[in-house]
Amino acid sequence: MSEEKMVSLNTIDDQLIKKAADEGIETMWDRKKAMKAPCGFGEKGVCCRICGMGPCRVSPVAGKGAQKGICGATADTIVARNFARMVAAGTASHSDHARDIAHVLHMASRDGNYQVQDEKKLIALAQEWEVPTEGRDIYDVAHEVAEIALNEFGKPFGTLRFPDRAPAPRRKIWEELNIMPRAIDREIATIMHSTHMGCTSDAESLLRLSMRTSLANGWGGSMLGTELSDIVFGTSTPRMTEANLGVLEEKQVNILLHGHDPCLSEMIVAAAQDPEMIKLTEEVGAEGINLAGMCCTGNEVTMRHGVKIAGTFYQQELAVLTGAIEAVIVDVQCIFPSLAPITDCYHTKFITTSPKAKITGATHIEFNEEKALESAKVIVREAIENYKNRKQDKVFIPQSKAQAITGYSNEAVIKQLDRVVNSNIDPQGTVKPLADVIKAGVLRGAAGIVGCNNIKTKHEYSHIEIMKKLIANDVIVVTTGCAAQAAAKAGLLSKDAIKLAGKGLQAVCELVDIPPVIHLGSCVDNTRIIRLVSAVSEHLGVDNSDLPVVGVAPEWMSEKAVAIGTYVVSSGIDVFLGITPPVTGSPEFVDLLTNKIEDMTGAKFFIDENPLTLADKILERIEEKRTKLEARLAKEIDYGVIKPEEEVEETKELA
Amino acid sequence: MNLFQTVYNGSNVALNAAEGLLKQAIKEKGKDHNVAFPDTAYSLPIIYAATGLKMATLADLEGAIGVVKSLIVEEPRLEPALNAGLATAVSAEIIEAIKYALNDAPYEAPCVGHISDATIRALGVPLVTGDIPGVAVVLGKCPDSETAGKVIKDYQSKGLLTFLVGEVIDQAIEANVKMGLELRVIPLGYDVTSVIHVVSVAIRASLIFGGVEPGNLEEHLAYTKKRVPAFVNAFGPLSELVVSAGAGAIALGFPVITDQIVTEVPTLLLTQKDFDKIPATSLEARNIKIKVTEIDIPVGFAAAFEGERVRKDN
Repeated sequence: MSEEKMVSLNTIDDQLIKKAADEGIETMWDRKKAMKAPCGFGEKGVCCRICGMGPCRVSPVAGKGAQKGICGATADTIVARNFARMVAAGTASHSDHARDIAHVLHMASRDGNYQVQDEKKLIALAQEWEVPTEGRDIYDVAHEVAEIALNEFGKPFGTLRFPDRAPAPRRKIWEELNIMPRAIDREIATIMHSTHMGCTSDAESLLRLSMRTSLANGWGGSMLGTELSDIVFGTSTPRMTEANLGVLEEKQVNILLHGHDPCLSEMIVAAAQDPEMIKLTEEVGAEGINLAGMCCTGNEVTMRHGVKIAGTFYQQELAVLTGAIEAVIVDVQCIFPSLAPITDCYHTKFITTSPKAKITGATHIEFNEEKALESAKVIVREAIENYKNRKQDKVFIPQSKAQAITGYSNEAVIKQLDRVVNSNIDPQGTVKPLADVIKAGVLRGAAGIVGCNNIKTKHEYSHIEIMKKLIANDVIVVTTGCAAQAAAKAGLLSKDAIKLAGKGLQAVCELVDIPPVIHLGSCVDNTRIIRLVSAVSEHLGVDNSDLPVVGVAPEWMSEKAVAIGTYVVSSGIDVFLGITPPVTGSPEFVDLLTNKIEDMTGAKFFIDENPLTLADKILERIEEKRTKLEARLAKEIDYGVIKPEEEVEETKELA
Repeated sequence: MNLFQTVYNGSNVALNAAEGLLKQAIKEKGKDHNVAFPDTAYSLPIIYAATGLKMATLADLEGAIGVVKSLIVEEPRLEPALNAGLATAVSAEIIEAIKYALNDAPYEAPCVGHISDATIRALGVPLVTGDIPGVAVVLGKCPDSETAGKVIKDYQSKGLLTFLVGEVIDQAIEANVKMGLELRVIPLGYDVTSVIHVVSVAIRASLIFGGVEPGNLEEHLAYTKKRVPAFVNAFGPLSELVVSAGAGAIALGFPVITDQIVTEVPTLLLTQKDFDKIPATSLEARNIKIKVTEIDIPVGFAAAFEGERVRKDN
């Protein structure tokens, strides 16, 4: 039990885990226990099973035990190949997500379920891609833009379009390293090819391939995902919400939206407001429909509609254990297959909707994008009709929730920054105020804290400890994914949290009217962060790697996180990992990630499983980058300050 | 040089100057020599507001030097930088107090130096009613007298109370700016440290009108930020000392607008090179809205009606 008490920051989680034990239900913690000690070979990345001669496992210790696989692949090759495949899988996940949204944009019509919500953003993108907009029907523009977007996945020639958005020095680095991404799917396929038996056997080459593929994610798939979602579903603006399992309602139909793709969740939100559905809700005796989001789909709908956040990745089983959920509606990514047996213990319907993610034991109601709203209503109807089956004696809704502000798209961030622009000096709509406070040192730097939950560490402890330490030291935090939801639950996304910030960040938060931790969205929305950083770099005339900016994944878990971390480092931003990736079997590859890669990109990985020392390293690195940046900017700016010799005379006069 | 380091350097310049001057004064007059500003019940108002302690002698000022030192903690953060700005204010007050201790009339016309409690009480009501919509502190040197005159007269025409420090005083005189309390233009002195006499006005407003306890520095700063609509215009090349004093102004809640290129901090430290836009920039930065007077008359009254023809039938 003592181990279970340490699972998370939330005492309510312990109560639910106890409920699971009492009811004889297996959770991830039980499975972790059953797993016993993890395999050291897999943990260190030195196990290879890519051909029929294996599986091979080589010794992580040089000069001792098997040093090579059957084919002769060394630990360096095996580790780097495994890492590259993680990057490929992560990139594939984000990109396929984006592809669906591009398809939806392509099918958008004036009277259809999917429409263009943000015309301004569409037109800006059309202009960026040189699609004529003048005098054209917005839907014709949309379809042409969508087609170009879809071609980004598999165009035969050239490189991707979005990398043009990066600062010039950064593009030059990518060109020199030959890692400018070509087509998104092509990069993923190249990795799968190069990591095939008997192909690339050079750790540095594999890392470069990983970097290029990851860039096809960050400056390709994910960026398309964010951009096109904003166009179809609207660019988010700040709004209030609530977070944690306490958002579930005793007398309402609780629908848990879990997964990633807003094409589904947006329609569920619309269906839940449909008069027909509301009438049905009354008929079953419920007081309403309560949508609650989880994981990134939760982030998408909370950003755009303020839908409440039920919880993070690790709480998906716990949410069902409340016994108060009529349906768990899922699409793709980060969905525990264990939700099938757990929901079987309750009245809860576990509904899969995507042909890309069918789960044995779940009810599969395929979501049809051609008839999106109808399709969503069928799914919501299942949930509502299930209300009467709720077993009241099994219901336990923990009374815990926190207030949060979400909805900060980059556009919304810039709008907040406009509040502090003096109209007699500067134009509105730029990142200058942010660049100014970073340059002046009022903010020491900025950190993007992102990523998952991981059973290897106490849930959310690392997220929250690091966030608190950074904001107390005048480092502004932007956050996405499950890290953002952890922040929401801990109250860090509220303006009350300003009191936890250092004086500099406090001053900024008060002037700009923002919380010290800013929710930028889902995991594809990490591209908002790299764009914001790039905008500040361009404003200051430097590269991303010159800025005191870091990325942190304190509790990362998925291959998507590996791809994200890699594109962030490739974009020139240091990445701090709170969970050690399976690479330690190759000291050479560890050296590449945590040292040599800096010579290539100006940024590197830092790995430390202790969140407190990791936070110290972040602050240290931020100051290190500041010193260099200040020296560089001081050369360019006169500052109008009298030279020291003149000062001496003035002092004499004073005395 | 980064902004905070510039502030710390300036604070140390001020500290060294205060220390040197104090040593010299003690040597000349002895430790028990009296220290006081004329016509105030608040001793050395800044030190009194910050520490709750009244300074009576040069020996007391030695203690005040300790306060200055404790306020200078050279860490790269906003909070210690603002504290160092306050340290500069305290150093300046020490320097100015010594001027009064060594000389019965350290200031002569046109400069007024220290401002009496009676004057502050007289200013209190129009400040509260918004009759004086703001307080401008114009410091340094404009490119020429004409520019100086234009900026100051602009503030004057809007009813602001303007304090002048440095060469801008002579420039204002040359530009024919009429000065005096009733005319709301007050030249303080030529030394940078004489700017402290306007800080003293803001701090005494907090003591007198705000009723804030002496020693509760945080509350005093909250009061000045909220209630005293002051801002600083620092013109001409800025010494580290001036930048440091500017940090003190920012600690009090007063934005600093300069014509020099500096590391800007939104709403707090701004560069405006166009002198025609200095007043508008400053008023916006301090969120000062000019009160428009509506005259209760039965016909429309506005500049738009100027030049209207009155025909026989009317």
